[in-house]
Amino acid sequence: MRTKIPLAICFLSGAIMFLQYFSRHPMAKTVYSGILDWWQIIFAFTLFVGVAAFIKNGVKSISRRNDAPYKAVSLAGLLLMPILALIGGVKFGSPFLWVFDNMQAPMQSTVFSLLAFFVASASFRGFRARTIPAAILLVSAVFVLLGRIPIADYITQSFSSAAFWIQDYPSMAARRAILIGIGLGSMTTALRVILGIERTYLQGER
Amino acid sequence: MPIFDATTLPTLVVSAISLIIVAYAIISVKRGRGFEIREIPGLKAIDEAVGRATEMGTPVVFTPGWGGDIQRPTTIASMNILSSVAEKTAEYDCRLIYPTHDPVIMAVAQEVVKEASLRAGYPDRYRADDIFYITSSQFGYAAAVDGLISRTKPASVFLLGTFEAESLIMAETGNSVGAIQIAGTDSTIQLAFFIVACDYTLIGEELFAASGYLSQNKSILSSVKAQDMIKILIALFIIVAIIWATIDSTSTWWRY
Amino acid sequence: MTSQRVRWIIFGSLFVLAVVSYLITIKLKIRPSPQVQKTYDYIETLPPSSVLLISFDHEASSLPEIKPIAQVILRHAFSRNLRIIGMSLFAEGTAIGYNMLSETAREFDKGYGSDFVFLGFKPQYISAILGMGESIRSVFPEDYLGNPLDSLPLMKHIDNYDSISMVISIADGDRAVQWIEYAGARYNQKILAGLTAAMITTYDPYLNSGQLYSVVGGLKGAAEYETLYGRPGSGSRGLLAQTTSHIFIIALIIIGNIIYFRNRASRKGRG
Repeated sequence: MRTKIPLAICFLSGAIMFLQYFSRHPMAKTVYSGILDWWQIIFAFTLFVGVAAFIKNGVKSISRRNDAPYKAVSLAGLLLMPILALIGGVKFGSPFLWVFDNMQAPMQSTVFSLLAFFVASASFRGFRARTIPAAILLVSAVFVLLGRIPIADYITQSFSSAAFWIQDYPSMAARRAILIGIGLGSMTTALRVILGIERTYLQGER
Repeated sequence: MPIFDATTLPTLVVSAISLIIVAYAIISVKRGRGFEIREIPGLKAIDEAVGRATEMGTPVVFTPGWGGDIQRPTTIASMNILSSVAEKTAEYDCRLIYPTHDPVIMAVAQEVVKEASLRAGYPDRYRADDIFYITSSQFGYAAAVDGLISRTKPASVFLLGTFEAESLIMAETGNSVGAIQIAGTDSTIQLAFFIVACDYTLIGEELFAASGYLSQNKSILSSVKAQDMIKILIALFIIVAIIWATIDSTSTWWRY
Repeated sequence: MTSQRVRWIIFGSLFVLAVVSYLITIKLKIRPSPQVQKTYDYIETLPPSSVLLISFDHEASSLPEIKPIAQVILRHAFSRNLRIIGMSLFAEGTAIGYNMLSETAREFDKGYGSDFVFLGFKPQYISAILGMGESIRSVFPEDYLGNPLDSLPLMKHIDNYDSISMVISIADGDRAVQWIEYAGARYNQKILAGLTAAMITTYDPYLNSGQLYSVVGGLKGAAEYETLYGRPGSGSRGLLAQTTSHIFIIALIIIGNIIYFRNRASRKGRG
């Protein structure tokens, strides 16, 4: 019973969402809108789960003196932002937006900027002409890198044309092939979940 | 108002063909026909990765990435691999750390790992605290996982799920601590980063085939085989459409 | 040389290059690409009072790259007296989008409620995109500031995508794909994407098939658009740093290969 009911709900929901796609009948639209509304409501509740888990984890770490100062800062941030939003609102110029613009946004951008450094070190390590296909890949990478900067146009416009050609033809062909495979994999995985063949999400059953 | 929307007919036809092929594959299996999947190096290396972590006395870090939630097939595929990895780590008494960005994924992962520990015969080796929610923010999550990898210096890192820009940040950090890395994602952009930075990469539908490959469950293997059959049909369709469009450039039947 | 030391050299050099590039000013000649030209031409030819839905589907992390794109499109749209409905499918994008929309609207003396509106954030993006195709009010009964949608003059005759000329998704991930696959496929809504450079190739298949109208990508795309708009901004400013970084990475690739072939030759010599 513990697994049969969720499996039945899963099958019914999947079947209904699949069938409603093929109909514009008002009844189908009503069912569809209803499911979308419930989806939103359920998701909103899962946010509470996340906040509760975060607070529980943080308090536990502080009590065990495990990275306590960092956990304290995290919890302080979690409490401060809603308080600021409730007191000062979220309008243009509010304290909430000030903290977001001057603390969160720069911190996020800083971590994102690490990507540039890691791309440089990965390129140095990874782009070696070990074989002919690797050499072709290397040359393509150089063309695409040059095609994305305006200075290459001063030398010749062929770089940006070559970059667009590489993106539009060989790269796109490979990507489409991978996307078809991923699409099919997603479809069969979804089908397995709907038909109850795949049950890992349900208490880890295999 | 008609019940059936005629503009969706092509989608219905393709869906019906796919369902028939999947049904045929499942029925064939029930009638005793076996299906095999070729060796997938990334999945074969799971044993090696967990063994290495056990020998070195360091944990295994498994991250599902930031980009997906539980409804995504990629996340479900990642859970299947987690189940296998968790069973092995329980067997070898190796610590498994699973940081996540989504509370629902955290809840499901806790159940998956708990069940895997039970299956391995070591329910006491399940540590709920090692499966935790960090934040839903992309780079907050990336920074936290990076910090975790830098501090714990895991011997093995699994990067399996939906990743976005944080993929290379995590993969390079894993590389810098000398971890063996097994990665797989549905994003073609991030796949390129993983191929450069990781030891094994599951490309395209190899990630989705993992469930059948690891469990050797006949029903799941049959759906993987059905996937291959549909792909052959798509390839034939593309070849026919290319030839037709080349001969008759005004044709549009292959477009819908 | 240890790999750690090599990493430090690479990271340090790149940092210095990027900082120096922002300190000096070199004006680069920028040739607009066909996609950016297409975007510019479309917005330029829209009748005044047409409505654009701009979704800020990105996080704060990609602001340095995304903000120039969003800003120049907003400036162009406001200069053409187009009306804008803003929203976000990312929690972080909400504050960013509202800020950017309000700041840019001030430059053009545009009024909230009549010239622009910000709806706010909706979780579960797929259901939000699909829901707006039926009724925007069912998804957003109130705007970000708590005003009922019916009280806003701009929203009086806007029920769903039928009244919207184009959806512009300013994204740093694959959220624009959801706009294409749900709003575009189901409701035939025209979609344009403003993207980080890393994401452009993800959208090439959609561009080629016509499902995505056009793309403005990365700092270069922003700089190209600023050239067409006639007012340089942060896109043009950041392009020199991008140029020097790309040249540095090409140099690293060349040096890496020289080291590789030299080591291979010396191994062959010893062997």
